Amino acid sequence: MASLSPEKLADLEEAAYQIRRLSIEMITYARWGHPGGSLSMAEILAVLYFHTMNTDPQDPRWEERDRLILSKAHASPALYAALALKGFYPLETIYTYCEPEGLEGHTDMTRTAGLESSGGPLGMGLSVAVGCAYGLRLKENPRSRVFCLLGDGELNEGNVWEAAMSAAHYHLDNLIAVVDYNKVMAKGFVWDLMSIEPLAEKWQAFGWDLLEVDGHDLEALSATFYRAHWIQPRGKPIVVIAHTVKGRGIERSEFNYKWHTHAPEPEIADAMLRELSRRYNRPELGYSRLGNDREKETFYGGE
Amino acid sequence: MAGNNPGSPSEMREAFGRTLVELGKDHSRMLVLDADLHTSSKAGYFKSAYPDRFIQVGIAEQNLFGVSAGLALEGFIPFPCTFAAFATRRALDQVAITICYPALNVKIPGSYAGLPTSRAGTSHNCIEDIAVMRALPNMRLADPGDNADLRAIMHAAVEVEGPVYFRVTRYTFPDLFGPDHTFQWGKGVIVRPGNDVSLFGTGMMTGMCMKAADLLEKEGIHAEVLHLASIKPIDKELIAGSTARTGCAVSAENASIIGGFGAAVAEVLTETVPVPLVRIGVRDRFVNSGSIGDLFRIHGMLPEDIAQAARSALTQKTRRMP
Repeated sequence: MASLSPEKLADLEEAAYQIRRLSIEMITYARWGHPGGSLSMAEILAVLYFHTMNTDPQDPRWEERDRLILSKAHASPALYAALALKGFYPLETIYTYCEPEGLEGHTDMTRTAGLESSGGPLGMGLSVAVGCAYGLRLKENPRSRVFCLLGDGELNEGNVWEAAMSAAHYHLDNLIAVVDYNKVMAKGFVWDLMSIEPLAEKWQAFGWDLLEVDGHDLEALSATFYRAHWIQPRGKPIVVIAHTVKGRGIERSEFNYKWHTHAPEPEIADAMLRELSRRYNRPELGYSRLGNDREKETFYGGE
Repeated sequence: MAGNNPGSPSEMREAFGRTLVELGKDHSRMLVLDADLHTSSKAGYFKSAYPDRFIQVGIAEQNLFGVSAGLALEGFIPFPCTFAAFATRRALDQVAITICYPALNVKIPGSYAGLPTSRAGTSHNCIEDIAVMRALPNMRLADPGDNADLRAIMHAAVEVEGPVYFRVTRYTFPDLFGPDHTFQWGKGVIVRPGNDVSLFGTGMMTGMCMKAADLLEKEGIHAEVLHLASIKPIDKELIAGSTARTGCAVSAENASIIGGFGAAVAEVLTETVPVPLVRIGVRDRFVNSGSIGDLFRIHGMLPEDIAQAARSALTQKTRRMP
């Protein structure tokens, strides 16, 4: 595959930047969410939605589309941002995150265009993706691929390995699992809480073709996903282990489990977003709703 | 086919397997998935008839339901087949979040539901599936009274869009209904009219209620027997209408009474016109290995127990309305 043009690379970088910005915006405004795992997969989603995957925002259920099952559904802000940027719904929709009729805290496919499944509990998504991939084969649809985006911590779940075993058994080479290997779980490091290593060997032992990539390198991701989509399929499911940094892009959240689930105060979000814009060599830009934020909720004297 | 022919009783699982094949003929999008139990559940009949639409997932029930969700997303009608105990205990989170939450078109048979599991014992005697599945939003739930009822329920399951759980009991049912029997979601039927006490049955317990009504009749008590295969949605009008006439009731289920069918009847009665209700079913205990007769005796679920419950309900009615 030819390398990306400078223009395309700039587009992908802008998408990754906006995915990060919008994730922080919606988590801050909702006063709830998971910044760490959203920031770590910004480049992965940018490349999938703006380079690798065929999707049509005007026809979200288009039969020939590529599917993305978000197994790590707590990182929904990044996916909501990518879908908004892609045009599945207006950008303003992100400020309905965690509202009763808005974007669900985890994922609700019945409410949001572009979502392919509903989720939240970890370890379930790969099974759903196996079902989709099997279904596509039954329908004799050779072009569509099913991507499943998994966290590293959720690889502790037995259900993932049931699904992995079955995907290889069914020879589902239209299935591509992407592991956002950011090394950090909710309460600490993966190696400390429950080690998943040797990870590459595990997937290979389960019968998968393995690709590894720097999950923040847009060119490497583009080449790897292109390979997984078009070149690699040979009767085995494909796993892309994307090595990433949790909380990537803002110093205080990088490699820090305390930002797994944590909504920043508006003033902190403002500083975080200013830092982010400086890192991307963009004009300094803070939190768009600073001073215009919602009041903290109180409920019969409590909160 | 023998399994669907009233008059020649066969095990309910036989009728289940044969009805899967029958449905598969008309519904090309129907798939059957199995977790290494197809000769027990009789889902294997579908495998023989339509090998390309049969998917073996191995002993992996969480994956069984997740894969079914994915297949439903692609427009198929999956029947993930396993024992009730594993569908509702092992894989509940998958059933709830990947299937019920987005209301996917998955039809879940709970094989070996309730007490008759051929002596398999506590781990396999699934008594909480009614309570658990009933609590899931979007889920429909039915417990058939005989093989004709099962067949009608399975047809109705495919005809309705969305998730369905239905019980398949490992028991050879005496026929309760004729060959023209139909089933409607949210509709129960009066199988024996009466005015003194309402006996609400579901699944195999409706047959037990009929035998209890015979016992009561000898004492001059005219029991009304109602079959409520559709547990969710439940037929509120039929329940409240019957007790408006009889003034007292018994519920009977092949399951735990906690949160189950009796609880569903109690919910209807307390929110309409409360009357005395005595519930027959497993009373907060695990169900050990044993013959079906021993188990029904130990857990107080025989026709004699139902008749005694009816007398108790009648006594309570009399005390309330002297």
